Amino acid sequence: MIVRMVLELEDVPGQLLRALEPIAKFGGNIQSIIHQRTKKTPTGRVPVMLVFEIGDKVRLNRVLEELKSRKIMVREVGEKVYTLRSTVVLIGHVVHADIRLLIDRLNRISGLSVSDLSLLMGEFGKESSARITVAAEDLESLQRALVELEDFCRKKDLLLIKSVEGAG
Amino acid sequence: MRIVLIGFGNLGRALVQVFAEKAEILREHEGFAPKIIAAVDDSGAAVEARGLDMKTLVNLAKRREKIEKYPGAKAGRSALEVIESVDADLVVELTPTNIKTGEPGLSHIRKAMEAGRHVVTSNKGPLVVAFKELDSLARKKGVEFRYSASVGGAIPVISLARRLMSSNEILEIRGILNGTTNYILTRMEEENVPLEMVVREAQELGIAEKDPSLDIDGIDTAAKLLILHNAVLGGDLKLSDVEITGIRKVTPEAIRLAKEAGYALKLVGVARRGELEVSPKLVPLGHPLSVGGTLNAITFKLDLAREISIAGFGAGPMETVSSILADILEIHRSLG
Repeated sequence: MIVRMVLELEDVPGQLLRALEPIAKFGGNIQSIIHQRTKKTPTGRVPVMLVFEIGDKVRLNRVLEELKSRKIMVREVGEKVYTLRSTVVLIGHVVHADIRLLIDRLNRISGLSVSDLSLLMGEFGKESSARITVAAEDLESLQRALVELEDFCRKKDLLLIKSVEGAG
Repeated sequence: MRIVLIGFGNLGRALVQVFAEKAEILREHEGFAPKIIAAVDDSGAAVEARGLDMKTLVNLAKRREKIEKYPGAKAGRSALEVIESVDADLVVELTPTNIKTGEPGLSHIRKAMEAGRHVVTSNKGPLVVAFKELDSLARKKGVEFRYSASVGGAIPVISLARRLMSSNEILEIRGILNGTTNYILTRMEEENVPLEMVVREAQELGIAEKDPSLDIDGIDTAAKLLILHNAVLGGDLKLSDVEITGIRKVTPEAIRLAKEAGYALKLVGVARRGELEVSPKLVPLGHPLSVGGTLNAITFKLDLAREISIAGFGAGPMETVSSILADILEIHRSLG
């Protein structure tokens, strides 16, 4: 499982290492560390956002216990994070194309969820446009979503505009 | 250097003017003294073994006159005959592009190479139709063949690519290669108006052709992408190998939705070895490809350097002549 955690650390040397040791100890694999120095708390603590992969919930609880015993403040713990995002724009008779069906199909892909849908109608009788953002745990889910989108747009004769970055 | 100039439209005229304006600098810094010993357009040819009079040529250029107005010019004399019969070092081919047949440029370039002349061209047509053939012919005949101005206008895309290739593998080339469509999309974003309206505006400003379909249907971008692919990544793909989607269906609403999410909507060409695609894409604002107006931009994805991007003006006579002159000077230097 992938965990996103926000800690509040004393702004003195060695604190980060003290916070990371428990994660390493229980087999966690750290993916990113972001110091949010500009968001210092009134008491002078620095929020640090960690994303790491760890075997299961039992191990995560061990990590949390150990952090507590080390008096390290855990402000937030999120179980699953979507690290990848991709935005596309669709042009055509989007409303007639039953976009709900598409959203359902996308949401059925494991490790993926539709995080944003915006629709703008064209003038009467003209084509409409939709923007869809999907959030995914990994590249594979994202690619499956793009295949699904391509398939839908081909069948419904919609123009699919993908991003130059990321999968696809 | 004895030069035969084929084509006296916007580019031919601009080149003559730049030769005249920069004569002193070119002579002093580069030891380069161009002599245009023949100039040909569809009206006729002016030939003078000691070099045509630059002042007269510049005046013709400024008045937008045809070559037949040059004193002593022969009306109706063909470019092919001049290329064959006039003993020159370099043929500069600047006739209008025809991406279906490559003509008349293709025949001009073939003839010039057969006659042992170096060739500089801005003409996409021959490169789209027969790049591999011309590249091989140039090697076989031991002549230089340069075409920087055919892609990216003033931007030295091809020479940058060649330089990067000496130490990197080029994994992918992405580019905004058509200033007209980029202008149209930029204006649609700024004014929130439909495509047809902006196309009319672009036509009035001389940015779009009377028939804008080559631009807005993505064909011009595809032609440039194809040249980049065959010249830089290597291969012998044809225009029909490019998967092309133009911008005709793009609506102001789509552009607005993209903008709200932090993207610009751009017509982007993407080339990987053996794989070519032109289509509208979302480009994150602040990305090197998110250039506005008539600008062009190209990003190379590389194995060592990761990404290198370059931007500039992709069209316009003087901008394009900047690349043509750079090609001519490179040949001048290589000849020693």
